[in-house]
Amino acid sequence: MRAAIRRFLGVALTLIAVSVGVFWASANYVRRAQSEQLEPSPFVHLPVFFNARPIGVRELAAEAMQRIAHGGASARSAERQLARLGGAALPFILPALDSLEPNSRERVALALTPIALRMEVASREELADGAQAVLFWTRFWQDRAIDFRAASVRHLTLRLAERSIALRREDLVHVDTFALPALIEGLGDVNDVDDVARVQRLTSVLSHVTDLPVRSATTASVAEAQRTVETWRDFWALHGSEYTELDGPRRLAATFVETQYGKWLAAVLRGGLGRTRSGESALSVIRRGFATTSFLLLVGLGGGFSLGVLWTRFERRTTRIALRYASAVLGTALAAIPCASLVSLFSGGSAGLGSATCLVMATTAAWVSRHLAHSTISQGSVSPVVAAFSVSAPLGATYPPLVLSAIVLVELAFRLPGLGRTAALSLASGDVNAWMAASLALALATLLLRQTADLLRPRATASSALGEP
Amino acid sequence: MTEGLSPKRRLALAACAVALLILLAAVLSPLSPELRAYARGLQFAVLAGALIMAVAFLVAIPLGTLAASGPRAFDTALRFVCDLFSSLPTLLVAAVFWAWSDRTLGYVCALGALRGLEQAWLLRCEIVRLEAEDDAAPHSLGRTPLLAFLRLRLPAALGPLFVSASFSVAWLSALDAALTQAGLRPHAALPTWGLALAAPHASPLCAALAAGSIAVLTVSLHALFRPPRVA
Repeated sequence: MRAAIRRFLGVALTLIAVSVGVFWASANYVRRAQSEQLEPSPFVHLPVFFNARPIGVRELAAEAMQRIAHGGASARSAERQLARLGGAALPFILPALDSLEPNSRERVALALTPIALRMEVASREELADGAQAVLFWTRFWQDRAIDFRAASVRHLTLRLAERSIALRREDLVHVDTFALPALIEGLGDVNDVDDVARVQRLTSVLSHVTDLPVRSATTASVAEAQRTVETWRDFWALHGSEYTELDGPRRLAATFVETQYGKWLAAVLRGGLGRTRSGESALSVIRRGFATTSFLLLVGLGGGFSLGVLWTRFERRTTRIALRYASAVLGTALAAIPCASLVSLFSGGSAGLGSATCLVMATTAAWVSRHLAHSTISQGSVSPVVAAFSVSAPLGATYPPLVLSAIVLVELAFRLPGLGRTAALSLASGDVNAWMAASLALALATLLLRQTADLLRPRATASSALGEP
Repeated sequence: MTEGLSPKRRLALAACAVALLILLAAVLSPLSPELRAYARGLQFAVLAGALIMAVAFLVAIPLGTLAASGPRAFDTALRFVCDLFSSLPTLLVAAVFWAWSDRTLGYVCALGALRGLEQAWLLRCEIVRLEAEDDAAPHSLGRTPLLAFLRLRLPAALGPLFVSASFSVAWLSALDAALTQAGLRPHAALPTWGLALAAPHASPLCAALAAGSIAVLTVSLHALFRPPRVA
């Protein structure tokens, strides 16, 4: 039992390390590869693993306010940014208005006009000049500051989620984007018509406060409502920190969460291993390719290794010199001639899983037989069964990556729907979720196969014959 | 294949094979651009293969020795790193190295280090096996443990490394061809044998020459790097 737990922990730890490694790899590949061919990840602006200075709504609002207060060319973009931040920025902007000089204060108050209109708390005429705008926002904050509390907004959202009443919707519209965290949380799971109605009510508010035309129609089906919820969750994964104050533990967590790796991990934890560029769940991509790759891997590692061991025994035991030379030349040539050349030769209209399996087996057998024939590992008596099962023995570190490479190649050349093909194509196209899912599935399959082979291996004979400690 | 030959003759055979290939490349190079590309591919294969072998030995010998005879934590760490790299296709790892390194030299050195890790594990296992089989031998010969290790055990354990090293050129060309065929080479086309073997519009003559040359180089290295026989 203890050994089983240790093995399980070992696999889990290796998978975590693999996920970090392949994520770093993909980030580097995307950055260095010819970027015009790649569609950049939406999180490409974030650091890969560690964000030393995570930015929340407080920092964004303060920066926008300073730029607007100073005026000039950059003030226009700051006004747009402030309008986008909306109600979430008000708790940081309005208390700070008094600290600005009168002209700057009026500029900032006027820049808040689009927010007031969206919140439906004032008309354009009421905010026609700077002095009026300053007076309006000062009074607004005196009256409504109490509404800008997470607990009260959550309560309002729960009430709207339960039942549709115009007044409840208005209350949420009055706090604008400040309600976004509660609204996204309130979307929940979508399983029946009641959930669809809830999503319709909440997305109506979400669409209003963000000016994004993504809402669930009253006649939407469960599947359509689920897609709408997914879209809003993607939006929140991408922009959530811009509407959230990063304070205390949240700021500490943001050093990891607000990174490319953290965003990928969050998508994985949301279920389905995230979504690929085509909108499909990465888990379904894995399900589709797992059977083909597992078969090739099993045949390549198991069959190819056994064949290699048998080949070596034949070569060693045969008394005919000519046959021995022919076997050695064939083995060396097969191992030396790149698998890609053989793949090119065989990739025609009729090539399929059979040809792919033969190629993977032949390549593996050639590599293994050359190693066994000339290394001191196998000197003495090696049972083919023992050797075939001992994939975690010394050669186990050498040839699985080559077998995996051969699998990637045959899947690409013969258009087999496997994980290797998915991994290679997604790496080339910069689809991080698909790449991560395919790589981790490949790694998991390899690790499990090695662990299983190691468990099934006859121990006493194997350790003496193959150099296990 | 070359069991009956002495080390000097094997070295001469390998040198003759390489010299013959260089001569062939020099003669063929002016004839056409494809053959010039083949000649440059030979240059790359020989230089990069040698560099990969050198880096791999530099990485493998200290790491493998430390893992086998040093602290247990080191052994665990090496096993973990080997597990990590052996669970991913070399093709994809090489694609990332290719994109990561600005220069070909960096790419080749990274591949050498990767190969060194695999070889370090081979060496570690071979040393452990030899120690388990013949624990009392060095003491009975009257040598100090370190001297016995350096003079007897380490040379005896280098066999798998030599075999692995003899496939370096083939391994490099296989990876290069695979990267070309998979469309994962982000850099500008470097005239390597991988391109000659797997590029869509590669000349058949050039591909045949490249494949034959890889086989000749591998057989030569295989003959040269036979595991030493230690008494």
